[in-house]
Amino acid sequence: MSEFLQFLLTGITTGAIYGLIALGFNVLYNATDLINFAQGEFVMLGGLGFYTLGVVLGWPLGLSFAAAVAAVSLLGLLLERVALRPVKKPEPLPLIIITVGASIFLRGVAMRLWGKDPYSVPGLTASAEPVKVFGAAVMPQSLWIVGIVVAFMVGLHLFGKRTLTGKAMEACAIHRNAAWILGIPSDRMVLLAFAFSAGLGAVGGVIIAPITMCSYDMGTMLGLKGFCAAMLGGLGSHWGAAVGGVLLGVLESLAVGYFSSGIKDAVAFLVLLGILFVRPAGLLGASAVKRF
Amino acid sequence: MSSRARLYSTGIFALGIVAVGLGVSNPYEQQLLTIIGIHTLLALGLNMLMGYAGQISLGHAAFFGLGAYGTGIFTTHFQWSPWASLPVVLVTSCLVGYAIGRPILRLSGYYLAMGTLGLGIIAHVIFREWDTFTGGASGLVGIPPLVVGRLVLGLGRTGFFAVWATVVLFFVLCGRLVDSRIGRALRALGDSPGAAAASGIHTAHLKAVIFSFSAVMAALAGYLYAHLLGFISPSSFDFLMSIRMVTMVVIGGMASIWGSLLGASVITLLPEWLHVFSDYEMMAYGLILMVVMIFLPQGLTRGVLDAFQRARTLRGAASS
Amino acid sequence: MGTQKPFLAIDGVSKAFGGIQALYQVSFDVQERHIHALIGPNGAGKTTLFNVISGAFPPDEGSIRLDGTDIQGCPMHELVRLGIARTFQNVELFAGMSVLENVLVGCHSRTRCGLIGAMARWPWVVREERRARQRAMELLDMVGLADSAHKRAVDLPFGWQRLVEIARALAAEPKLLLLDEPAAGLNAVETEKLSRLIQHIRASGITVLLVEHDMNLTMDISDRIVVLDRGRKLAEGTPREIQSSDAVMEAYLGKKQ
Repeated sequence: MSEFLQFLLTGITTGAIYGLIALGFNVLYNATDLINFAQGEFVMLGGLGFYTLGVVLGWPLGLSFAAAVAAVSLLGLLLERVALRPVKKPEPLPLIIITVGASIFLRGVAMRLWGKDPYSVPGLTASAEPVKVFGAAVMPQSLWIVGIVVAFMVGLHLFGKRTLTGKAMEACAIHRNAAWILGIPSDRMVLLAFAFSAGLGAVGGVIIAPITMCSYDMGTMLGLKGFCAAMLGGLGSHWGAAVGGVLLGVLESLAVGYFSSGIKDAVAFLVLLGILFVRPAGLLGASAVKRF
Repeated sequence: MSSRARLYSTGIFALGIVAVGLGVSNPYEQQLLTIIGIHTLLALGLNMLMGYAGQISLGHAAFFGLGAYGTGIFTTHFQWSPWASLPVVLVTSCLVGYAIGRPILRLSGYYLAMGTLGLGIIAHVIFREWDTFTGGASGLVGIPPLVVGRLVLGLGRTGFFAVWATVVLFFVLCGRLVDSRIGRALRALGDSPGAAAASGIHTAHLKAVIFSFSAVMAALAGYLYAHLLGFISPSSFDFLMSIRMVTMVVIGGMASIWGSLLGASVITLLPEWLHVFSDYEMMAYGLILMVVMIFLPQGLTRGVLDAFQRARTLRGAASS
Repeated sequence: MGTQKPFLAIDGVSKAFGGIQALYQVSFDVQERHIHALIGPNGAGKTTLFNVISGAFPPDEGSIRLDGTDIQGCPMHELVRLGIARTFQNVELFAGMSVLENVLVGCHSRTRCGLIGAMARWPWVVREERRARQRAMELLDMVGLADSAHKRAVDLPFGWQRLVEIARALAAEPKLLLLDEPAAGLNAVETEKLSRLIQHIRASGITVLLVEHDMNLTMDISDRIVVLDRGRKLAEGTPREIQSSDAVMEAYLGKKQ
């Protein structure tokens, strides 16, 4: 029983991060109908940036966290301005190739800057003593992770419902032209969505780094898993992203615990295929996925 | 291109290959040309999917690896003759391609891209982890060469001719395909899926069929690769290989059979000519993909050709 | 006339998008070899109805029968095989292809050559291809574009592109042809030509259902007209009846004057 609980808690921790990455996909998808294949690279850059600022340069951890996230958000803006805005005919195929190109480019840059070795990154609190919960060990970092993800979920929810900008973003998501006619600067909303989604990815990178170590090639897998979590919860649904992420994390952790660690990465893919086969709208999503 | 023009150009191409094959005697150059041939097969197959049908695969290295590891396992662990494993490998890749393509391709491009990306990663994990059969990270050695009569096909001149004969065969087959009912349906699908369906094209089936076809071509390339080198390792079939394939198509140009040859040559020769290239390989691919797609979404060759044509028509219009 | 079994029977069809009721309980019959027009102000649900009939999406409720068989839920390509072909309001030709190739794509549902056959070029494939090309040329001849067969379709003037699209739809050998605003963007001469073409199509045994804003054309060639307004059927009758209907004058024609 305590073994199961342990798997469950581990699963929830990683799942929360998948949920955060999924949230990044969702924010962008809602505002622009775009799936950003470089999302995983933002996670990687968040983690490595945090390492450089916090460990190499010795900045305070809180400041490093904020600076890494801010820098990656800027990168998100840059991606939109430089690579996506100039596209004349925004069709899926070129857009996919461009974001894939961006992803591989960023990874190449990271490989030059940080090399191929993985780095270990300290947790947000110095104490490494695990807390005991019903006989299962919980690392303080796990509490940080779950806490931060929940804070972002609630924050995003309030932002969408309570603030004018949040409502405007939602309006753009529903109908870009109509929103533009009503005087909502849809251009700026798209930029905001890019920055936001890149920033969410970076947060994920900073908080996952102490658990998994971080290296230049960690992004693809995390991006894929985040997307899988988003699909699981229904693309575009914020609460779905959280539920999908946790579900995926727990499934993975149980598979590793009861079968073997070799199949860990296969779980996400099998779940993704299953979702695409059976219920493309996701477990929670109501809207049908576009067929053309 | 009319069928007569295509016949002539293919003939000239075949003659050129014979001339190069007989003329080049440096083993390193022979080997390089053989690899270009294998990459051309990969690019051509992916171009059928990407360039014509407008669907993308970010995990085609999986099928390249399926062909290589499939035949590698049959011939080393089970002592099959390479000729016996050929049909098995091709049929398997065809079925796997269809089975995966059908559900994913029902949906729009993003899902296909993400699904195939996952497929590629998982295939790579399997090649690396399933070490009882695949030899794990260190790879699979001792794959027997192909033997025709008393002729053993190796990486030198014999392998060159085997690979390039296959390339010519597929140039002819793909040329015929493009000019047929199926080829028109593919281009229709790439142009406007809605209008294609309204014209009676069963789009989901067609997409899966062409996905399966390109999977078979990749597997065939993998089969040749495994038997010519005699040794395979998982790093030849990783995510970067899938990206390399996409980059070949993008350089060569969407919907251009001859472009596949160009794309494959550039991507094979760049690392050979620029030794520092390997450090910057990913950055270079990333930049190529972004820049070409932003400015010339039809791909480099087609984009440049179109620009020339436009310039010529403009000049023609000005002078008349 | 009233005793004839309807060729296309639309019965209680409704369709909503989000909160917008695009179609509500629309019913009417189309007789075989008729030219049947669908008119109404913008947003009346005409194109939605077209999309439902051609299988782009299913109706929320109601049924559609073609020649007695229920075709609801049939995928688009299956409907083409059953005999429904359509054109689009905004002309959707395949940009990368020649005029002839565009029409050849229309032959897709009436030919059989598959992937293997295309690569092997069996004798029957060659014969089939020759027949298809012949048929496509005949159709281009019929719409008067045989001379432009090898030009790129998108290089033609807009009015001609519409004709290519009609030829492509006819290549599928339909029993029912759906034309979505075929006269939009055409000049008077072209419209006159179109009117003769539609009548010629009907004479060759094809039932035509069209959405059209050009009242002269509609009144001129239609056997029957259905008026839609905000998703509901407002009126139905012969052109003469429609022209004298007060409700229609108010809701639709009245606005124009």
